[in-house]
Amino acid sequence: MSVTDAGGDKRIFLRKASGLIRTASGTDTFIYNLGVVSIGLGVGSMLYYGPAFYPQGDLIWGCVLAGFAMALIAFGFITWTITLPRSGGIYVFGSRILPPALALTMSLVEITAWLFYCAIAAYWIVTLALAPMFAALNLLTGNETFLAISETMLEPWATFLIGAAILVLSQVILSYGMRFYLTINKWVFVLAMASSAFLLITLAMYTREDFVSHLNALVGPALNVPDAYNAIIASGKENGWGGGDPTVWQTILVSNWPFLPLVGAAFSIAIGGEIKSVGKSQTVAMLGAVLIATVVWIATVWLAYKVFGFEFLGTAVYNAVLGTGITTPTDPSVALLTGILTQSPLITVLTSLGLALWMWMWIPAMHTFGVRAVVAWSFDRVAPAPLAKISETYHTPLVAITVTTIFNLICMALFVFTPWFSKIVILIEAAVLAWSVVLLAGVFFPYKRPELYEKSPLAGKTVFGLPIMTVGCFLGFLAAQFYFWTLFFDPNAAGHDPTQVAIVVGVFVIGLAFYYVMKMIRRSQGIDVTLAFKEIPIE
Amino acid sequence: MFWKKKNKSGDGQVKIFFASDLHGSNVCFKKFVNSAKFYGADVLVLGGDLTGKAVIPIAEQQDGSYLAFQHGESVRITGQGELDDFVKRQGNMGFYPAVISEAEYQRLKSDPTAQEELFKRLVLERVHEWAAFAEEKLKGTEIPFVALPGNDDFWEIDEILTQAAHVDFNEMRVCDFKGGYQMLFCGGSTPTPWDTEREYSEAQYVERFAELLPQVRDMSRCIFNVHVPPHGTALDACPKLDDNMQVVYEMGLPAQIHAGCETLNDIIKEHQPLLGLHGHIHEGRAKINIGETVCINPGSVYPEGILQGAMIILEDGKIAQTNLTQG
Repeated sequence: MSVTDAGGDKRIFLRKASGLIRTASGTDTFIYNLGVVSIGLGVGSMLYYGPAFYPQGDLIWGCVLAGFAMALIAFGFITWTITLPRSGGIYVFGSRILPPALALTMSLVEITAWLFYCAIAAYWIVTLALAPMFAALNLLTGNETFLAISETMLEPWATFLIGAAILVLSQVILSYGMRFYLTINKWVFVLAMASSAFLLITLAMYTREDFVSHLNALVGPALNVPDAYNAIIASGKENGWGGGDPTVWQTILVSNWPFLPLVGAAFSIAIGGEIKSVGKSQTVAMLGAVLIATVVWIATVWLAYKVFGFEFLGTAVYNAVLGTGITTPTDPSVALLTGILTQSPLITVLTSLGLALWMWMWIPAMHTFGVRAVVAWSFDRVAPAPLAKISETYHTPLVAITVTTIFNLICMALFVFTPWFSKIVILIEAAVLAWSVVLLAGVFFPYKRPELYEKSPLAGKTVFGLPIMTVGCFLGFLAAQFYFWTLFFDPNAAGHDPTQVAIVVGVFVIGLAFYYVMKMIRRSQGIDVTLAFKEIPIE
Repeated sequence: MFWKKKNKSGDGQVKIFFASDLHGSNVCFKKFVNSAKFYGADVLVLGGDLTGKAVIPIAEQQDGSYLAFQHGESVRITGQGELDDFVKRQGNMGFYPAVISEAEYQRLKSDPTAQEELFKRLVLERVHEWAAFAEEKLKGTEIPFVALPGNDDFWEIDEILTQAAHVDFNEMRVCDFKGGYQMLFCGGSTPTPWDTEREYSEAQYVERFAELLPQVRDMSRCIFNVHVPPHGTALDACPKLDDNMQVVYEMGLPAQIHAGCETLNDIIKEHQPLLGLHGHIHEGRAKINIGETVCINPGSVYPEGILQGAMIILEDGKIAQTNLTQG
């Protein structure tokens, strides 16, 4: 059978009949994904960690590499979501081919990571956006109240309380339903995109000389040096920051930072059942989000290097993080540096709030991802039944939303108050590993589940004689594995600190234990949960 | 969900498997019938909308190949093997494939009446096939298979299903049900944008329920099998459509409406039956409570060949368990 041209003749006779309407357009899906990618957060983290800890890394090529790899992962997930156009993410995919215990564990690991990232995003809103904003305002206006606010915000209890309030706000918004959330999301997206465009324009309008003179004027007196710009660079070099020609290994490692936010480009697998023209929409949404984010990052990094200087960005952060040498009076975040560059409190506020809005977009999106998975588990009886209960008042799964919020708050507390979780970005490794397992399963899906694959619009489409899903998922698996190992060997982005690896392994073990405990409970109730993962025979 | 086959029904225990809106999908219907054995159900309940929505003409060309339409693309089919596969696949997705000549296709294309006749003939043929399949699989099992019509079902299917050996087809009746319960059957729906086969106004629903309710002996042991869901709940939320069947957007987002039956909601609130089984709104997959009454819409994703359903255990006049299934 082959696709042919019938002169635009749609050979189908339809009758008037009611049916399911998919509501999310390609644009909606694109915005959803780009919001989770969080362009602003990517800019903030890349410029902060990149030059400081990967001095031989080429961040621009790193963005290209991460974008290419994420496009391959997206390709694999596009074939999955076209074949099984349902909401629920990798749980839906995994449950159709993997052993039940493994399918649930992969999903639980992934959800743990994303819910933990909700807490991290709330934490970063406080520490990388709001507190630096007030510190920058102090620097620009001389008003000590701003400094006091900034310092208070960075106290653990204050950070926790503000972060908790942000997480509860996400709970409240989701409780009012997806429509309410998506309406807010669109406005936040518009404002956040405007802030990114504003940052690009601002950087394009200024020169290195502007920045150096403004920095020296504002920071020099505090550091008691006339040329603060070069003094900070010299101090960093004396303390061990080493620049030099880019190396392939450092460039690969620095690409972890653009890759981390880029995983959001595939988040629309969570809402596959609500997307119309799923093949076209998901393709445009996932690959479009990867492309736009990568292009904006490359432009921003290039302009930031031009204005602030690679060595300054690297040494200022290096000194600040290690607590050695001299640096800016508060964390040299992009918001602070832009404030210094423009000498404008207003621009400082706008840039900082833009950053905060981008970080915020992570929270309800990842929270939604978690809620949907938990509801799906409950439907399949591998989680308690009340988790799928729909509120009659709000028509939303209030119990699941509340439970995941409580989990978020616990993560927030662990992150703020304990040393073990404070650098647990390593959970991203667990999530990428879970993705790679599901992508690997996709390689075999057309062969193991032909009765399902034959109904896919992809059935019959081949590349080099192989089903397109097999090829797409294999490329996605390779890309996911590549980043699992680069993250594993990068102590700055994730690494393999024994304690943290133990935590990751613990999450997998908890996932398996959770499945078997629920299986046992259900068995005592006369329910065989394994049937949830099986196809009813048709013969 | 997922009762073990070895788990015997206790005294007064009834296990119901309910699904709705199969819309012509062969694979979903076969799964539905086989779900009795798979989930260990005592009764199969089908909630309406058995019939599909599209005929796929497969037109034979002069060179012996066939032209057809699939997933938004025109496809050329060559060879009997490919043709058989294509026909089977269309049937599994709920379509009605019709192998015809190119000349016949061109004639049908310009003749809506002939299209409707073809549609009806193919629908009725499939209903016959389904009735035969149910009989083959359920004969000797003592598992009742009860069904009612949905708003999309042609009137002509009633006669076929009423006469089918192993299908207990009911509309506008209250019947005795296994375990000493009663089931109230009320098919069709409130008016839809598609102006479908069996639609009733709210006023007509008032009259219909006025006819049915006096037949109920004990509401606390009555199961409502009503195709349309109660209005203003999670079971009936769906996108709003304009006159051209396009989704209405407000502030860039699809507007949501409730497309259920207000009369039904009022009646459930007032009379509090034990259980409400509903379909119609494919997006409305959920289980809710209206007062003490548990109402379920399993939703439908029949084009994917996945059967969404609900397993309900009744025990001693109460609902012991309810679970939404996918299989």
